[in-house]
Amino acid sequence: MPKYTLHYFDMRGLGELCRQIFALAEVDFEDKRYDMEKEWPAFKSQTPFRQLPVLEVDGKFIPQLYAHCRMLATEHGFAGKTPFDAAWVDAIADQHKDFYWGDFKKFWWRALDAAEGDLVHEELKTKFGIPERDKFFPLIEKQLTETGTGFLVGDSVTWADLLISEHVSVIVRVVPGFLDAFPETKKHAEKIRTIPQIAKWIERRPVTAH
Amino acid sequence: SIMPSYKLTYFDGRARAEVARQILYLADIPFEDVRISLHDWPSLKSTTPFGQMPLLEVDGQSLPQSFAIFRYLAKQFGFSGDSPFESAWVDALADQHADYFREILPVLLTIWGFTQGDRMALVKEVATPARDKYFPLLEKIAKDNGLNGHFVGDSLTWVDLLIAEHVGSINQHLPGFLSAYPSVIKTVNKITSTPRLKEWIEKRKETTF
Repeated sequence: MPKYTLHYFDMRGLGELCRQIFALAEVDFEDKRYDMEKEWPAFKSQTPFRQLPVLEVDGKFIPQLYAHCRMLATEHGFAGKTPFDAAWVDAIADQHKDFYWGDFKKFWWRALDAAEGDLVHEELKTKFGIPERDKFFPLIEKQLTETGTGFLVGDSVTWADLLISEHVSVIVRVVPGFLDAFPETKKHAEKIRTIPQIAKWIERRPVTAH
Repeated sequence: SIMPSYKLTYFDGRARAEVARQILYLADIPFEDVRISLHDWPSLKSTTPFGQMPLLEVDGQSLPQSFAIFRYLAKQFGFSGDSPFESAWVDALADQHADYFREILPVLLTIWGFTQGDRMALVKEVATPARDKYFPLLEKIAKDNGLNGHFVGDSLTWVDLLIAEHVGSINQHLPGFLSAYPSVIKTVNKITSTPRLKEWIEKRKETTF
């Protein structure tokens, strides 16, 4: 087994997907967390794209979280059972990325700052949160309804399930009621988090604001 | 065994579909190259899984999202790197390119005539900083890979095609914009002189985007 180190900040954020894949696969890894102010600047120039997360495999770096997550997931059987299924996992992940980094971001990043129960900016929610939600989550509802398996692609868990369920679980906590019109999506997130290896990881992972 | 049927549907342009066309052509796989006008698209939109194009159909089964399509075809036909580590690096560079492309897209949409905007201001304020963040990394990658005509490994991959297509588009509309990155240009020139790719580029229809 190669020696794995995940380099990321001390948060779930963009590092959580990789950690969950390691948990699901029951593979050991060093969970290296950098202080953004004190430690990141010195390490930054060593990273290929001056960004985190970076996965280190036997001393070699792979940047970009989808790239190293896909590699890990593929190796351990969580990337779809056929090439076409694997392509659908990729498609759902990229559709989520477009959603997450598009206009939804303008609402979501404000909402995250108010994560401790403070008021969310209603204007941003109306202008960006709701329209973008209503473009993306019907696709997830449809996908879950079509597979009927409780998984987004095929009949077994893939990294797309981890990606979507993690984000959904945060949305449900940060903006209660926001996804009430998407019952399959909510059920899916709850179910994925009961997978024993995932449940165990969630229980023992460091508690961070994001 | 019987070859699956391939149908690719997109607008009448290169942009987010060209790499798929190139992979299929390079692999000598016949495919239906469907191009939809802006006028006809709205009525087709709801028939697609994500309301978007490009769309690949393999024996009638739909697959959306350009990179999912490119990676699927690349894996089928040998353009995704020679090892899992290399494939991951192809993916990583493609995603890094996509992040840069997301930043520069508003500029391109104006240049291509889809949106109104102050072209010069957009190039200066949006495209230039985006370029200056990404292209030095790409220049280093080309050099570190030995200036062998590829961005990752030593055989043609879909990220070579992706970057070469983009550089071609930039050269079409903003000549000189990438002149500070000679290793990138050299690598792209080697990619586009791959015989079968050169053939495709020469005989394809010229489009704005």
